[in-house]
Amino acid sequence: MDIGTGLALVGAGIAVGVAGLGTGVAQAQVGAAAVGATAENPKMFGRGMILMVISETIVIFGLAIAFLLYTKA
Amino acid sequence: MLRPEEMTRAVVVGSIESLDATVECLYELGILHLIDFTQPDEEFKLGEPLSKASDTSQKLLKLRAMIRALELEGHRPEGKLQVKDINKTLEQALVTLDLSTSSKAEAKQRIQSLIRERESEIKVLDLVRTFGVPVEQYDGYESITVFLGTCRHDPEHALRESIRDYEILKLERKSDVVVAVFVANEYKLEASRILADYGFQEVKLPKLKGDPEKLISKLTSEIADLAKDLARTEHDIESIRKKFANFIVASEEHLAIEVMKAETPLRIATSANSFVIDGWIPKARIEEIQTALDSLCCGLAFVETIPPASGEEPPVKLKNPKPVRPFEFFMTLVSTPKYEEVDPTLVLFITFPLFFGFMIGDFGFGIGLVVAGALMRLKLKNSPDLQKLGTIVLAGGIMASIFGLFVFAEAFGVPFHPPEANPDEHSWESVANIPIHPMLDKMHDIKEMLAISLLAGWLHLTLGFVFGFVNTYRHSMKHAIAKVAWLVVLFGIFVELMTIAGNNTATSETVNTALLSFLPDIETVIGGVKASVPALIMVLGGVAILPFTEGAIALTEVLGLFTNIMSYMRLAALATGKGAVALAFNTMFFPMIFDSGNIVVAAIGAVLLVIAQTFFVFILGALSSGIQAVRLNYVEFFLKFFEGGGTDFAPLGYERKYSVTTR
Repeated sequence: MDIGTGLALVGAGIAVGVAGLGTGVAQAQVGAAAVGATAENPKMFGRGMILMVISETIVIFGLAIAFLLYTKA
Repeated sequence: MLRPEEMTRAVVVGSIESLDATVECLYELGILHLIDFTQPDEEFKLGEPLSKASDTSQKLLKLRAMIRALELEGHRPEGKLQVKDINKTLEQALVTLDLSTSSKAEAKQRIQSLIRERESEIKVLDLVRTFGVPVEQYDGYESITVFLGTCRHDPEHALRESIRDYEILKLERKSDVVVAVFVANEYKLEASRILADYGFQEVKLPKLKGDPEKLISKLTSEIADLAKDLARTEHDIESIRKKFANFIVASEEHLAIEVMKAETPLRIATSANSFVIDGWIPKARIEEIQTALDSLCCGLAFVETIPPASGEEPPVKLKNPKPVRPFEFFMTLVSTPKYEEVDPTLVLFITFPLFFGFMIGDFGFGIGLVVAGALMRLKLKNSPDLQKLGTIVLAGGIMASIFGLFVFAEAFGVPFHPPEANPDEHSWESVANIPIHPMLDKMHDIKEMLAISLLAGWLHLTLGFVFGFVNTYRHSMKHAIAKVAWLVVLFGIFVELMTIAGNNTATSETVNTALLSFLPDIETVIGGVKASVPALIMVLGGVAILPFTEGAIALTEVLGLFTNIMSYMRLAALATGKGAVALAFNTMFFPMIFDSGNIVVAAIGAVLLVIAQTFFVFILGALSSGIQAVRLNYVEFFLKFFEGGGTDFAPLGYERKYSVTTR
């Protein structure tokens, strides 16, 4: 494995890792609010879940980039 | 399936004399969803409760008071009582029970409060018992003021400095000092100021006379007597509870049903001579109501179907085959579909176990889940929701076992045969030679698994848009066309993803040759990535239609659709992730078990391995796979078509748990 491939794989790792952190920060807040809403009205579970995953888009982009790098490496 | 039960708007009309019988009949059938009557006019007014209402409510109140007094709130009788037995004995039983339970419950409360009173007196007297001063001497002087209480520290030094005439009794305790300070009235203010500095908190002695020591022993013996009384009363209450608990709870249920029936006229329209009950009835069961009314109301009440007013939404009763019904549980967590909408329960029934099974993909854990699901179904008869969940776990477990057995060929995180890339890895070969070889290796065929996930995602999302089309084309052709445009964009994205994957995976190769071969094979390279020209045309073409149908804002969601399909990669990610965690534990503990040569070390290793695998792979894995499988449905799939907000079909009716009627 040459150094370029290694760097590409490190890049893939960073893409997923940092994007995951971003999602984590956002989901922590949305999730707390969603759990509160669900506790008051169980019917809010579905809506809460949908709001929860909006922030997940970030990590999916990270994953897509990582995957592009991974296939190139 | 896919559609809720067909409803028809109907009115039940009849002569006012037959109201009782009609209400009774409707409750027995349990198929009329009542629409509350809200607009009284000169002719029709809200009905009055049936004659039995007030008497029954009073009895019900008495029973509920008894339930509280006897602490029967959580009591669940084993068997069921006959309603005719309840009716026969209720009157007499209520009189005797009411007298005995209320007097006993009052007696119990009185004794308890007397005990509490004495206990608090003892607590106060205990503070001054070492001072040896009779209780009455702490009070009632003309020229002397007494401060009795606790201070944070000993105040004597400060008192000595500023007050000449005083007497102090004190008792040092762990965290404070009990003091009794006697001062002449002229020093009252000064003493009070000093004591306040020391955090003085006053203690009030009970109005008793005599030596504290003796008083305490007297009170203690009184408490002992009271405790005996209390035990006797509690024993009496317990015997009432034992004897009548089932009767009281069953009667409460029966009377609650009776009151509900008796108060139903408050929701319907009545005139001087007739009544009109308005509601929805499942279309297939109209005749049933008419037959029942004919036989029970002697031809005095009729059912008539009427066309619904425009904009009226019928209530929704999901209609699914029996095996699919437990999955309706997932719908209750989100929202009931509207009457006109597609009911996606059937899709959940298919996709949930598939996704779940793929992510778990282990024969051993799959069987574990089957057992867990079966136990939930058998043991949790009191909670229908948990029972449904049990069925869902069972279905997921079956799929997980099938995937584990035939696709991944592994059990408890250990492969049936060592992978080719790593022939030294522990496998079931050392126990038995299972003649099944894996089609996919979780650790090495990651690209293949990603391609399968994307294919699953495309199929699932396509179905979502098809449902979206079906839901919208009746109201709005424009929105229906938008769904088609989305389908085209989705197909474009999928073709592009398969072009990028090319021949790297068997899945993409098969898809490209078998499914997508009708597309012209024109490729270009954009930014170093292979791009299919037909795919680009489809994406751009679909995107071009969107502003005209869903507005320009829809363009922002194109990227969202891309993330939707990428989101299915979690299927592969979770399967691999779980496989990796299981492998990691095996790699850590197998050397301890097999290579240590020491039976104790091997046993410890085995126990640790079982604990680690159970918690981290089995329980956490099942939980996260379950959540992800549901989420792919709720978010990626549902958002393509589902609005929800339908009214649940809630017919007049009741459920008897502890009482039973025989005809």
